[in-house]
Order: sequence, then structure tokens, then C-alpha cells
Amino acid sequence: MNSLADRIRGVLKTPGVSNVSPASAAALKALTGCATDDLQAVLGGEWRQHDGASCFVVETRREPSWAHGNETVGALAGRLADAAAEASLVAGSPAPSPFVFFDLETTGLSGGAGTYAFLFGCGSFEDTGAFVTRQHLLVRFEQERALLASVARELARAGALVSFNGKSFDAPILETRYLYHRLEWTGAGLPHVDMLHTARRFWRREGGADATESSCSLIALEQQLLGMRRQGDVPGPEIPSRYFHFVRTGDARPLGAVFEHNRLDLLSLAALAARALHLVRLGPDATRDPREALALGHVYGRAGLAARARGAYLRTVSLTGASMGMSNASMAFSDASMAFTDASMAFTDASMASLRIDALRALALASRRSRAYDEAAGYWRQILDVRGGPRHVAREASEALAIHHEHRLRDLAAARAFALRSLDNGTRWNEAVRHRLARIDRKLERLKSEVSSLQFGEPPDLRLET
Amino acid sequence: MADSRLAESTGLVTSSRRDGALDEALQRLAAGQVLDRPDTPDLHVTALRRLPPVPAQFAPFPDALDDRLRHALGTRGISQLYTHQALAIGHALAGRNVVVVTPTASGKTLCYNAPILNAILQDPASRALYLFPTKALAQDQLAELQTLCETLAAPRHGSGQAGSGDQGHQIGAFTYDGDTPQDARRTIRSRAQLVLSNPDMLHSGILPHHPRWAKLFENLRYVVIDELHAYRGVFGSHLCNVLRRLRRVCRHYGSNPVFICSSATIANPRELAGRLTEQPFELVEESGAPRGEKFFIFVNPPVVNQQLGIRRSYLGETRRIASEFLKRHLQLIVFAQSRLATEILTTHLKDDFEDVPGAPERIRGYRGGYLPNRRREIEKGLRDGAVRAVVSTNALELGIDIGALDVCVMAGYPGTIAATWQRAGRAGRRASRSAAVMVASSAPLDQFIVRNPSYFFDASPERALIDPDNLHILVDHIKCAAFELPFSTSEEFGRHNLQEILGLLAEQGLVHRSGPADDLDSPSESAERESLRSSARTSEALPARGGGAPRELGRWTWTNESYPADAVSLRSVSSDNFVVVDTTRETRVIGETDFTSGPPTLHPKAIYIVEGQLYQVERLDFDGRKAFVREIDCDYYTDAITYTRVTILDTFAEKGHGPFSNGEVQRLAHGEVHVVSRVVGFKKIKFYTNENVGSGELDLPEQQMHTTAYWLTIPAPTMALLPYASDDRRDGVLGVAHAIRQVAQLLLMCDRHDIGISIDMEEGTGKSPRLFIFDNYPGGIGFSEPLFRMHDELLTGTRRLIAECECKSGCPSCVGPIGHTGPLAKAAAMRILELLLARELAPETAEHAEVQPS
Repeated sequence: MNSLADRIRGVLKTPGVSNVSPASAAALKALTGCATDDLQAVLGGEWRQHDGASCFVVETRREPSWAHGNETVGALAGRLADAAAEASLVAGSPAPSPFVFFDLETTGLSGGAGTYAFLFGCGSFEDTGAFVTRQHLLVRFEQERALLASVARELARAGALVSFNGKSFDAPILETRYLYHRLEWTGAGLPHVDMLHTARRFWRREGGADATESSCSLIALEQQLLGMRRQGDVPGPEIPSRYFHFVRTGDARPLGAVFEHNRLDLLSLAALAARALHLVRLGPDATRDPREALALGHVYGRAGLAARARGAYLRTVSLTGASMGMSNASMAFSDASMAFTDASMAFTDASMASLRIDALRALALASRRSRAYDEAAGYWRQILDVRGGPRHVAREASEALAIHHEHRLRDLAAARAFALRSLDNGTRWNEAVRHRLARIDRKLERLKSEVSSLQFGEPPDLRLET
Repeated sequence: MADSRLAESTGLVTSSRRDGALDEALQRLAAGQVLDRPDTPDLHVTALRRLPPVPAQFAPFPDALDDRLRHALGTRGISQLYTHQALAIGHALAGRNVVVVTPTASGKTLCYNAPILNAILQDPASRALYLFPTKALAQDQLAELQTLCETLAAPRHGSGQAGSGDQGHQIGAFTYDGDTPQDARRTIRSRAQLVLSNPDMLHSGILPHHPRWAKLFENLRYVVIDELHAYRGVFGSHLCNVLRRLRRVCRHYGSNPVFICSSATIANPRELAGRLTEQPFELVEESGAPRGEKFFIFVNPPVVNQQLGIRRSYLGETRRIASEFLKRHLQLIVFAQSRLATEILTTHLKDDFEDVPGAPERIRGYRGGYLPNRRREIEKGLRDGAVRAVVSTNALELGIDIGALDVCVMAGYPGTIAATWQRAGRAGRRASRSAAVMVASSAPLDQFIVRNPSYFFDASPERALIDPDNLHILVDHIKCAAFELPFSTSEEFGRHNLQEILGLLAEQGLVHRSGPADDLDSPSESAERESLRSSARTSEALPARGGGAPRELGRWTWTNESYPADAVSLRSVSSDNFVVVDTTRETRVIGETDFTSGPPTLHPKAIYIVEGQLYQVERLDFDGRKAFVREIDCDYYTDAITYTRVTILDTFAEKGHGPFSNGEVQRLAHGEVHVVSRVVGFKKIKFYTNENVGSGELDLPEQQMHTTAYWLTIPAPTMALLPYASDDRRDGVLGVAHAIRQVAQLLLMCDRHDIGISIDMEEGTGKSPRLFIFDNYPGGIGFSEPLFRMHDELLTGTRRLIAECECKSGCPSCVGPIGHTGPLAKAAAMRILELLLARELAPETAEHAEVQPS
């Protein structure tokens, strides 16, 4: 036996990377009966030639009648087509159609030169309403350059890219691959709508046992919104080892499920986008719960659509008021009540309070910006009425009210009360508040001395809030 | 630099006053001494050497240096260069790798900044990478570099540079390290012409992401490795591999950078630079910088207990000596060996010299763990004179700019000749006298040095050793390299057979070999090859893309989900470690320690010290790799008793002395060994006196390690010649072991934990005792072979250490504390060493045999 080899084996035995988890190893074993190298036969698809380079692509068509959860592909296509113009609102910058949805499967999560994107999946709707996916497979590492060139051609027809977490994961990984080959990353010049951020705003679940991270995964959203249950889906962590198995043995069968996983991800991504854009198009009345309404407010607000934002925030306030047993909220309730009772199961009192406060705060700030000070004060007061809200917001509200009463209403006693309240709510002694209190007290003193020097007559405006 | 030259010209009046004050203080230390007197055997000043002043030697700017740069340097008061600067800049400009050995404050930064800025002026696309061993050094250098860049960018008047469009263009210099905010990184990657970083960041943050640094690697003209001497042992072995990866990535991008290294005085700067970069080097070691007259003094605190060999506290002595200088308004730096000692000395000196509270602090402490702002403030205070004395750990040993001071006092021997000179270099003005004082502690190494000043003054400094082909280290970096770029089937990396290693990594599923042998059913392999051939970039590392490269070369691609650089820490061999959890108040992690030193330092009841605070280990969770500690106030620390058994696996080389009359041969050898060690107990040692004040037993799991060792056999007949009882003979061997370890550490320029010692001795069997000194790292780090070579030096040094110790029958400074060994240990150890050396020093009777087993 070679002594170098033995010594290296000794070195490699020390704790370090383990390649295949036992579970996935077993899964692979079950799949590897007789190996076949015929990619086309196993995965479908074909070798495509361009400029003398070849690339293996699997193209799959989902006709408009195809069911994805409780939706059909055709319905999604129609909704998306109607609401395409709203994509710019969601993205925060121009995002013209056609949309190309994309999603990578990679050999690791860390990024860097040794993390490969072995499967590039993209999909788009045809005019007929069918959803077509094209999946590029890195069959041999040597063919990566050809794959990237083919992907670049694929993206060239896109008006905007749509992804799920693509801004922080897929795009940087692809960018590195392009840089590695000294090619230009096409995606850099394209608008990119990352649906993860939108989805978090609209549909994150509260409080449940699952971690917040996973509760907003594509699969969780798909269950929640589309009523989908995937059958025999590949767990994400298993995906790289299936690819490595293929690389080593040429056996592509374990990849079949990876391709299917990727296709489902693409279609669910398209469904999420369709739903979000649809909501943005229809406006607050279409929202089913206060979180959707609040998210909508943010979308409009960021796009500078003040009136529409206001509508969405008011809707949030009314929806949260209903659940919190507040009287003024009952009116807007009826149309959404069916969906709402169902959805409200997912909301705890605390999250209701926080949604309500967020909406009220946005309303207050917007009113102040448009110089509707009395209105703003009304919203700030409502914030103080919400029990269990975060201290810093209550403090902000008290402060705003103190300013309002001191400078605009000239109601010093009330101003003083609010200033004191903003102190109570703060954990640290606040210089600014102390200054304000001192100033208010000086003003009050002056008033008192004026009163005593008058000796009679009406006291000045010393309204006290009850 | 300009500032200090300015100070030099205006500071003449005060400098003569300073000289007088210094003379006075020196007279106090070594009363009645003529300054040239070499030794004072009667007193505790054991050496007083005078280093004469050296005038500056200047040289003109090399012709190749850009006019704009000369002008900018002129603006900053530099109109000519020191000879070493001119030489180094000349080499670098001509594209030759150069290592500059520079005393402190000799203008080393210009040696690398000049050629680099020159390259950028001539082609703004040029890039340079600076590697500093610490982040603080990079920050310090950035400030200096930016000043120079600003001068360059400032518009010039009346020069004939009308044609150049980049006048006034700011050169982009940035630090890139763990502190760089994420959102700034992208900008730095694209804009930085000069990147100031450290080896750890290059290893885990830059190389694995090289595609994003394409601009840097394509245009990399120079790589600066500052403080080269810091890269020895494990750290150096890692750096060598990181540089292998760097050069590999550079080849991929078609660049071939020139290396400019600077080093403190070590025995083998050119060899170290060559080994680290695997490139030939030019050496520049004659400094042209001026130096004032300097005195170097060794002080050994007097013995207060002859019997136990206990000396007066060296910290107290340091305080007294520092006061002599402070009283006379001299500015000084005090180096302490630990954070604890730093804090103690700072407190004492503040007590002696600080004014009322609230007055500006004139005495400051300085160590790792202080916030950057505080450090900057202290550095500035030292430069402008507001701070009169600073007490520092080795944090100020490296080239942070604090200006030149009058006096350096070292509390304890810094451990190596190189570090001692470097610390001493902190004192030394160009036009006036300065002094460096070393106050020895009672540690054996300190005692050896202070009693043998010529070892320090006349011997060459230490050699820095690395072993980049240690399999543990090499294999880790091969993984990282495979992640960065696929290996070709003809590539090499390090001394071992790369292809074989890759084959084994493939068995583990970490890499995959692909090539013509296992082509898949791609119909257009040849067409693809054509398209690759037409692509603009070619590469050695990717032969498939190298135009016309033979297709039969396969390649190894990384096929694992992990990011291998994350699992490799450059500052130790194994990334497995123990964390230290403080449970005094709320639970928090306060430190970590590598796996091998876990049990000896974190066993139950061990005293663990961090930032001067003592903690006691209450529980060691070995499997969970956690030690739970609680704050404690005590006056001792603990020293683990480790039981170690060494088995020889393979002998690399062997020498024999003899045969003796009975046919015995004394053998010494080095080779591969298996070390099993277990911490079986611990001793409580009192601070400062090193008294043994208690002990305890422990039951911990054993640790195993393959490593390399040097070993020495003491022939049974030699043992038989000893006129002592068998217990005393045993004590003699233990005593030799205690002393030889210190000397080995001295000769190897290594830290205490880098080597371990073990004795194989069975009493009453008549077997020859064997003494192993092994590398305390899995796979060995290259210490054994040099020890084997330096065997004679090792034994003579050990004998001298014991012979010159003033204790009567053994103390911590020589053969170990009384109680640990018997009363005859010292005498027996001396006899053993004499017998061993007698054989060796009589070559006419000893047949010198070299044996080289296959």
C-alpha cells in the first residue's frame, strides 16, 4: 500500500466535509438499478446547437388548461397579462413585459468560484396562455461557457426578470459564473422583480411554530395561496448530491425529480407574481386580510400613488379594527368577511396590533406631509389607543401630538401631558423631550403670571384633555 | 517620514539635553561604569553594549522612476533615497522579486510604495495587493499611502505634463478585510488600485471569489508581503499555500506579479521569502538609514533566595528602571510579555508619575483588545510627545507608526533575537542617543539569554522555518484551490504528488475527474472545442480553454456543496477548537483555543487568563468542545502534567556516535512518530516566583497525533557511569529534558506550545532512555530536521543553561523546580550532558557514521 495514500486518508478522516447525507445516499441507491447514459430518454429534452457549441435543454409546455393547485395556467396567464403594467409598481422601477421567470439549481449555497449553477430554469407565458419552461443542464463542466451563452440568448427576449430571492442568491451566482468565463452577465441590464420581498410583505404568516424563514418559502406560500401539495418533491438539501451522482456516474435518473422541482418552482413563482400584480391592479377592496392591505399600501406609497396608498391603509385599519372589537371598523367588513374569518386564524392579537399601527403610522405621516395636521393628529391618537404596540411608535406618536398641541393648537396642558407620556415610553432620558417640557413649563408660567396680573376675566385657553 | 526628518533638523538643541539625561540614567543603572565596559559580573547588569552611530548613506532616485512621483516625494521632503531604498526600488522596477531587511524606522514603506505608485502612474489599470499580518497595520499603512496619493493627485504648477489626462486623478487605495462593510465591497472590488488586506482575507474572502476580482488579478503587478518574519511555523506554512493559490489564479488571468517583501532581521530572509513564494529573490540588507548612538543593557534581577533560586520580581525591577528614565523626562516604551503584565506595569507607572486625575494622561497602556480610536489616540500622543511612556504587549512590536522614542525597556526576554531587536528598534532617534534595556524574568529562556549576552549580541538571529507540504495543511489548500479553479491532470501543487491526492479527494466525492476517457454523449465535442479556442482568454489552469492545448488533458472539478476555505484557519492546523464560556454572570463566550492545547489549558480547575482577569475552569465538556469558567481571584496559575508516550513509525535520518567500549552507539535521529498524550494532573504555580503551591489529579481522554520528532538516545552504559542511585539518575534525565526543551525553543524560534517533549525510560531494565522533542502539530511543522542538524548546539546550549544557573540544586530556571525533581537532579543532569558531549567532542575516538535509511 502506498504510504502517501495512507497518510492522506488519515488526514482526510479528520472532521471535515461529509459529502452525501445518509438519507440522500439511500435515496440514490434506490434509484440506481441499471445506469443509462441516454439523457434524452431519461429527462426528455434535446441537444441544441448554436455557433457550433451545444447545450442540453429540456423544454416543457403547460397548456392553459393545466391545473396548478387551485389555479389553471390559462387563468394565471390572463391575470398576468391584464396586470402586467403593475409590475413597475411592485419592482419600484420600470419592469416591462415580457416577463421571464427564472430559478437556478446550484451545487452549493455559499457562492464563489466553486459553486456551479448546474440547472438554469426559465419560463414564460405564450400568447396562447400556455406556460413554457426551458431548462438548461450543465452536462459537463467544460460546457459551461456554451450554457451561459445559451442562457444569455434566452434572457435577451425578456423585458424583465422575475425570481424568488434571485436578487440575493440566483443573480449573484450567475453573475459569478459569467465573470468566471469573462462573459457579460445579461441580467445586469435587465429590470429584476424579486418576488420574495413582495411575498414577505403580502403573505408572511405570523407566529406559527415554523421559523419565519421557512414560512415564507415558495413551498409554504404555494400551500397557503394555491392549495398545492407537492408529491414526491426533492428536498432542497438533497439536490446537489443528486447532481454530483449524475456527474460521477452519468446516471441522469435522480435528476428527473430535480427538473420537476424546478418546473414547479417556476410555475408557482409565476402564480405568485400573477396574484400580487392582480391585487395591485384591483386595489384595496380585493384584499382578503389586513396584511395584504398593508402591503398594498406600501406598494402604492413607494410608487408615489398617495391616494391609492391611503385607501389601502384605511382598509388595513378597518380590517384590524374589526378583529380587535373596535366599533368604527364594522362598515368595511362585510365584503371581505368570508375570506377574512378564514385568514384571521393566522393572525394573533399582537400581529393585528402591529399591522394596525403600521397602517396608522403611514396614514399619519402621509397626512402630515400633505399638511393635514388635524387628520394626522387623529391617526397618532388612534395609535396610542392600540394596546400592546411597540414603545418607540407610541413615543413617536406622543411626541408628534405634543408638538401638534404646543405649536398648532396651542394647548399647553395637553402638550405637556403628551410630552410627559413620550418620556414615560422611552427607556432613556430624552434631551429633546426635556427641552420641550422646560419650554412648555416656561410658557405655562408666563401664562399664569399674565392671568394673575389680569386678576379677573376669562382665563386663557387652558383646555385640559380628559 | 518627512516629519521625522524635520524634527531631526530642529531637535538638535534638545537632543543634547536628552543625551545628558540618558547618560545620567545609565549611570544610575550601572553605577561607575565606563560606557564601553562590556560586563558587570558583580552587579545585576550583565551586559552593557554600545552601538556606535551610523551616518545616512544616500543614493539618487533610480532613472526609471516617474517624474511625477519624484516631484511628489520632493514635496514631502524626500529629495534623495537611502541606499537600501534605491536598491530595493531598482530591483522592483526591473521586475525582480526583492526582500528588504529593514531596521525599525528606516523608511521601508517607500521601498514598496515607490515602485507600485510608479506602475500606476504609468498605467492606471495596474493593481497591487498588500498583505499585512494584522488589520491594524493595514489601517496604519493606508493612512500613509493616502497622504502620498493625495500629493500625487494634487495639480502641479509649471510642469510640462500638459498631455497627461489623469493629472489630479485620485489613486484608489482601500483596505479590504473582515471589517469592510458589505455594501462597500463591490465598489472596492472595481475601484481599488491598491488593495490592503491580510492573508486570512485573501484566503477566505478574495481567492474563492476571484471572478469578482478579475480586474485585480488581470492587472496585478505587485504583491507586498510586509513583516515577512511573522510568517513562520504554521502560519507561514499556510501562507505559502495561499500564495500558491494566488499565483495559480494569477496565471489563470495572465498576470505574474513581482513580490516585494520586508522583514525584520532574521537569519534567513531570502530563504524564507523564497520558500513562501517559491520564487527567486534579491536580498537588500544593508540599511542606508542613519542611526544615533545606542546602548543595549541586560539586567538580571538579584537573587533573593539562593536555595530556591528565586529572584526579585522582574516587573518590580522594570518599574524601577523605567522610573529612572521617566524622572529625567525621557520618552519611553515598555514592552511586557502578557496583557496582565501590561496592565500591572501601567498601573504602577501611573501611580508613580501621573498628575492629579483629569490631567492629560502621560502614561498609557496599549494592547490588543483596546478599541481602535483609543489606540490611534495613543499612537498620536506618542508621536507628538503628549504621551511620555507607553506600556505595551507585542502589539506595538510590528510597524505601527509611533515615531522614535528615547528608551525601550523590555520586561522579560521577548522570546527571539529577532523580536528583541525589533522591540529595541522602537527606541532610536537619528541624531541623539537612545537605550534599550532587557530585564530578565526567571523563565529559563530569559536566564539563559541574560547570562549569555554574547548569544544575543554575536550569534546570528533565528531562522524562520515553515513546512508548506505538511499534508494536513497542503490537502486543505488543495481543496480550496480546486474550488477556485479546476486542476488539470498535469498540474502540480506542492511537493507531494498532486494527482494522487486529487484521486483520493475524488474517492471522498470532493472532486470529480473528467476528461476524454469518460465523455458523455455530447454530439459536438469538437465544435465546442472550436468555440472555446476562439474565446479571447487562454489559461494554463484550464487547458480546455488554452488555444490548441491537447485535449487529452482531463480536469478535476470541485464537486461538493461546501466552501472549503471556511473550514481552514490560517493561524492553526486544525479548525476544531474549544470555546471558553464564562458563566460568572450571564453566559458568554470569552475565548477559544485550538484542539491540541484544549486539555492542557482548559482542564477542570485550570486557571484561564484573559485580559488580566483570571478564570477557573469549572467543567470541561470534551465532546461538546466547551469549557465553562467562572471569575476567580487567586495568586497562582496552573500548569498541566501531561503523560505522553511516543512510538517511532519511520526514521528519516539517523546519526550514531560511538561505538563505546561496550559496543553501544549513541543514536540521534529524526522521523515520523505517533504521540499519545493524556493530561493526568496539574500543578499550581505561584505568579512571579514560579513556586509550586499545590497539585491535583485529572482524568481526561487521551489525544493521538501523527507528527515528526527529533530523538536522542542516552546509551545505557552512559547511564551506568553516573555515580548516583537510580532515582537520581532518573531525575537527571528529567532535568536534561526540562532544560533541553527551553534551548530547543530558543534555537527553533518557536513558541512554547509549538514543541512537546517526552521521555521513554524504563527504570531497572537496563534499556537506554530516549528523549523525544516532537512538533506539537499533526503532521509536523518542520522543526525536527533542524533540531537533528543543530544537535551539538542543542546539547552545549543545554549544558550552559544548567551550568550557569546560580541555584544550588535545581530551580525553575534550569532543571525544574525543587519538588518536581530530586535534590541531585542538577548534578546528575550536568554529568549526563558532560558524558554525552565528551563522546562527541572527541572525534578521533568517535566514529561519525551517517545512516540514511531508505
